[in-house]
Amino acid sequence: MRRIVYPGYKLADKKLSGRGVYYEGGASYAALVGFFDDEAGVLIPLEGAYEPEVGDLLVGFVSDIKPNGYRIYTGLPNNTFMSSKDFRDPLDVGDIIIAKVREVDELKDISLVDPVLLKGGNVIRISPVKVPRVIGKKGSMLMQIKEATGSNIVVGKNGWIWISGGNEYLATRAILKIEAEAHTSGLTDRIAEFLKKGGME
Amino acid sequence: MSNQVSDVKLIINGRRVDGRRLDEMRPLSIKAGLLHKANGSAYVEWGDNKVVAAVYGPRECLPRHDADPYKAKLSVRYVMSPFASKDEHGRSGPNRRSIELSMVLREALSNVVMLELYPNAMIDVFIEVLQASGGTRCAALVAASVALANAGIPMKDLPVAVAAGKIDGEICLDCGKEEDNFGQSDVPIAIAPRNGDILLLQMDGLLTKAEFLKALDYVEKAAPMVRDLQAKALEECYKGAGQE
Repeated sequence: MRRIVYPGYKLADKKLSGRGVYYEGGASYAALVGFFDDEAGVLIPLEGAYEPEVGDLLVGFVSDIKPNGYRIYTGLPNNTFMSSKDFRDPLDVGDIIIAKVREVDELKDISLVDPVLLKGGNVIRISPVKVPRVIGKKGSMLMQIKEATGSNIVVGKNGWIWISGGNEYLATRAILKIEAEAHTSGLTDRIAEFLKKGGME
Repeated sequence: MSNQVSDVKLIINGRRVDGRRLDEMRPLSIKAGLLHKANGSAYVEWGDNKVVAAVYGPRECLPRHDADPYKAKLSVRYVMSPFASKDEHGRSGPNRRSIELSMVLREALSNVVMLELYPNAMIDVFIEVLQASGGTRCAALVAASVALANAGIPMKDLPVAVAAGKIDGEICLDCGKEEDNFGQSDVPIAIAPRNGDILLLQMDGLLTKAEFLKALDYVEKAAPMVRDLQAKALEECYKGAGQE
């Protein structure tokens, strides 16, 4: 059974792993608001900041040019740096990129690698815990939006989403609707209906 | 507040000025997630107190020289609005009182917020008292803890705060404004209900040891009720969730 838990809620008498859980005095407790599934023993956070992990793709923009690389702003409190060693094309301040996290150090400072320049378009920001909902199972939700709007959409794990071409307005509204209703059921069908009606509710 | 029993009768036939029993709280209602621009927020109505709390972060620590490489900086700002109250409490901050309250609330909250997860970052808690009627620091702490949970800041517990006091020589729970002004003592206490840790304890006026233990007992009995309302507010905020 799934139920809503809040910080300090006792989850189990054993050590559980995963995000938003802590272990103290022989029991595991929730540290975040989220769903807890008794059988799976996993807490799914409903709110929370992005936790950088190696291999994640982040959307951000170049905020400063350094002698050996670029400082990237991804909306995180952490310093984010990308070395210019591995690629030729120079970037400019304000360029939007998507890049992979190569390393996260003990201060949670991030170094990025393999950037792809995203030309034109707009960036919208949503809560990072809602990103899996925007992508959907095996990318189904994202594919549905792309097909209905003809837009090119790139989703970063940090909750920044780049949208370009097609019906950008409808794609933006659909994504913001997913964010607002991420915790409700039957969302895929409702978004399909929303897109079919061209955003009329 | 004085140590002498005042002429004003605050307890008649075991009932207080607003008709409550000695161990009865004022009605409390909590709402989570009402501000859309903030990462998390909460609104608390506790008797005539009206308090809004908003949380932003974790975000870049400004000014940069305040950043701590071992943990996040927690900044708490408690202020009363200019129209919060009739007397000098109603001056909007930052004044001596609001700076002190910001400090005690920050120290209470930093015991439960897992600041070590966000090195070099900053978490901002803004608390605005819209209407004050005695016991605003407790209402502020209750609001701040729900707002922090709503913002997804990892915490070890949802702290709870209730005040006890002494009026007409009797210990009572959750003093209102008249009881604060004409009573003999006011003891706001914040507790982490999971393990019973005391996060905040102030005492304005004097109590004997027996009286203090009785006050603590009242607060410990009231804490689970406040905690239930906090949990209910968070559940209400995500209603219809998790059916899929």
